[in-house]
Amino acid sequence: MNCYLCDRDMPLQVSWRSIFFNELEEVVCSRCQSGFERMAGGCPICSTPGEGKCHDCCNWENAAYGGVIDSGKSLYRYNPTMKEFLHQYKFLKDAVLSEVFATVLKEELRSQKSVIVPIPMNEKKLKERTFSQVDRLLDSASVPYTHLLGKNEVGLGGKSKSERMALQDVFWWNGNPMPEKVLLFDDLYTTGSTMRMAAKVLKEKGVKEIKVLALIRA
Amino acid sequence: MKRIEEFLTGRLWLRNFSPFPKEQVDQAISDGSVTVTPGILDGRQCARCLEKSVKKIIPFFCAACNTICYYCRHCIKMGRISSCTELITWALPSTIPPQSHSFRWNGSLTPLQERASQEVQKSLLQKNDHLVYAVCGAGKTELLFPPIYDALKNGLRVCIAAPRTDVVLELSPRLRTVFPNTIVHSLYGNSPEESGFASLVIATTHQLYRFKDAFDVMIVDEADAFPYSYDPALKRAVMKAKKKEAPIVYVSATPSDDLVKQVSNTSKIFQRFHGHPLPVPEFRSLWSYEKSFAKGKIPPKLAAWVDGKIAKGEPFLLFLPTIELIDQAIVLFQQKHPSIEAVHSKDEDRKGKVMKLRKKQIPGLLTTTILERGITIPNVQVAVVGADQPIFDAAALIQIAGRAGRSIDYPNGDVVFFHNGIVLQMDKAKKLIVSYNGGGVN
Ligand SMILES: [Zn+2]
Ligand SMILES: [Zn+2]
Ligand SMILES: [Zn+2]
Ligand SMILES: [Zn+2]
Repeated sequence: MNCYLCDRDMPLQVSWRSIFFNELEEVVCSRCQSGFERMAGGCPICSTPGEGKCHDCCNWENAAYGGVIDSGKSLYRYNPTMKEFLHQYKFLKDAVLSEVFATVLKEELRSQKSVIVPIPMNEKKLKERTFSQVDRLLDSASVPYTHLLGKNEVGLGGKSKSERMALQDVFWWNGNPMPEKVLLFDDLYTTGSTMRMAAKVLKEKGVKEIKVLALIRA
Repeated sequence: MKRIEEFLTGRLWLRNFSPFPKEQVDQAISDGSVTVTPGILDGRQCARCLEKSVKKIIPFFCAACNTICYYCRHCIKMGRISSCTELITWALPSTIPPQSHSFRWNGSLTPLQERASQEVQKSLLQKNDHLVYAVCGAGKTELLFPPIYDALKNGLRVCIAAPRTDVVLELSPRLRTVFPNTIVHSLYGNSPEESGFASLVIATTHQLYRFKDAFDVMIVDEADAFPYSYDPALKRAVMKAKKKEAPIVYVSATPSDDLVKQVSNTSKIFQRFHGHPLPVPEFRSLWSYEKSFAKGKIPPKLAAWVDGKIAKGEPFLLFLPTIELIDQAIVLFQQKHPSIEAVHSKDEDRKGKVMKLRKKQIPGLLTTTILERGITIPNVQVAVVGADQPIFDAAALIQIAGRAGRSIDYPNGDVVFFHNGIVLQMDKAKKLIVSYNGGGVN
């Protein structure tokens, strides 16, 4: 097959592992793959490099959104390769690209005890984009998830950080039963406001522990 | 409405991405001046690029229409087409008044160019396809000026399709100067929006996806140039963009045997405009060069060649077969000289780096086949590493060799094919070049 990103022909790799463990097929060539940069260590919530909680997360902790997230991580840096990927996936709506991180997400979420809750899209946005990019990432990785939240139509773009921090009622509980532990999943973690607002609603409805996972840390 | 007509005549455009207010488009559709077609045709074929392979036409659950939709990956960069997207085009006969054209050019054609020019003109009048088979540096563009002017004067719409943006950017200013009163549009990925009805369109072959039954004359520059010859979708695009009866002029230095057979009217020019012969490639063995690079060492013969060029201050182009090899090699070459650079197809600064080489701000460039055409650098010295690799077929090698000796001040220049064993394609390239110099093949 051809690489999903650069369209060059890739030699078909059939290994014993792929036969016995039903591994997902790689859809990206090794050169494109090497353009993505993993994150490791760093902030215990968003993986920003450095000792302890990062500046952003500390600000959140000192505001009304303190304590709503217990821990978390981000998997990749928002480098030029990732920017291009996200552009093609979200802006050009190339839905198959959800498979690019299937193996990594499957590995990451395989033995997850918490209920996985994707950050939702509002209906209008969903109709425009024609698919939910966050759900699709999990679908491609064959990871089960539950929606607990709905989202109102609010444009976050263009608002200052303090305005973002003050935004209320972006998310609402959709009425599904609340589990004890939740892992919130989103594609892109920018300021953290989305995760914080979603986590706050869930904690108010009785969730005891909330972890967050973002594919990308901007 | 006039603007919509000018824009949509002969075009196939995404309804949701038109440059006009939605109400105007809706109005034009309801009064019948604009027609709507579905983005994916029966048989799961993209209506814009005509792709239909199952690898490129992908099903997904679509939240817009709440069912399985298909989308086309092949032309997705131009705005995604799916089953539920709509394409619009102008439906009525044209009411656009004829434009007046003028021709401002004080160059002259060599007798060979002159003859070819007249032959093209004759074919166009008779609506026959024509092949201009001319070596690199023969002055192919100039000989097209008179036939293009003739077509424009007759009220015809002319398209020049080139395989890559670089070529469109090179051709556009020349044609705009020569036809100062003509509305010329240059279309390539992310090109700025232009207004009015263009009688002359210069476009990358990809941009032709957005046209249908539009042109009375189609000129395909560098026919058989990568990626054109490898991509049947682009050939389909040429056929779709022109009107059914419209003749095609193919212009190529390396036409495929098929093309030569298929087109009966041919003009051949096997001499450069400056009259000097083409540099003939020299074969030099470079055993196990891949291993050598992998071990972090430039093979000595290659290093010596590059050192020689740097010492003499002669700009050089080094063609390599893969991006991976360039990634490995560039580090080593930069240890030799820190300002040697590498380019590949996705390099956004490609133009900038070629400019630097032309201005002698850098000694040389490592490149994939992407630079094989459309660039002229005075006194450039050319070498291919791994000329035995399949990516370098005879056509590519001839084009690469054709980079050297183009300018009248430096009609010579090195063309070295470093190889790990001579292959047929190398021999073929060399034989053809020698035969052109001897007056050509028949
Ligand atoms: Zn790739
Ligand atoms: Zn943090
Ligand atoms: Zn298409
Ligand atoms: Zn749809």
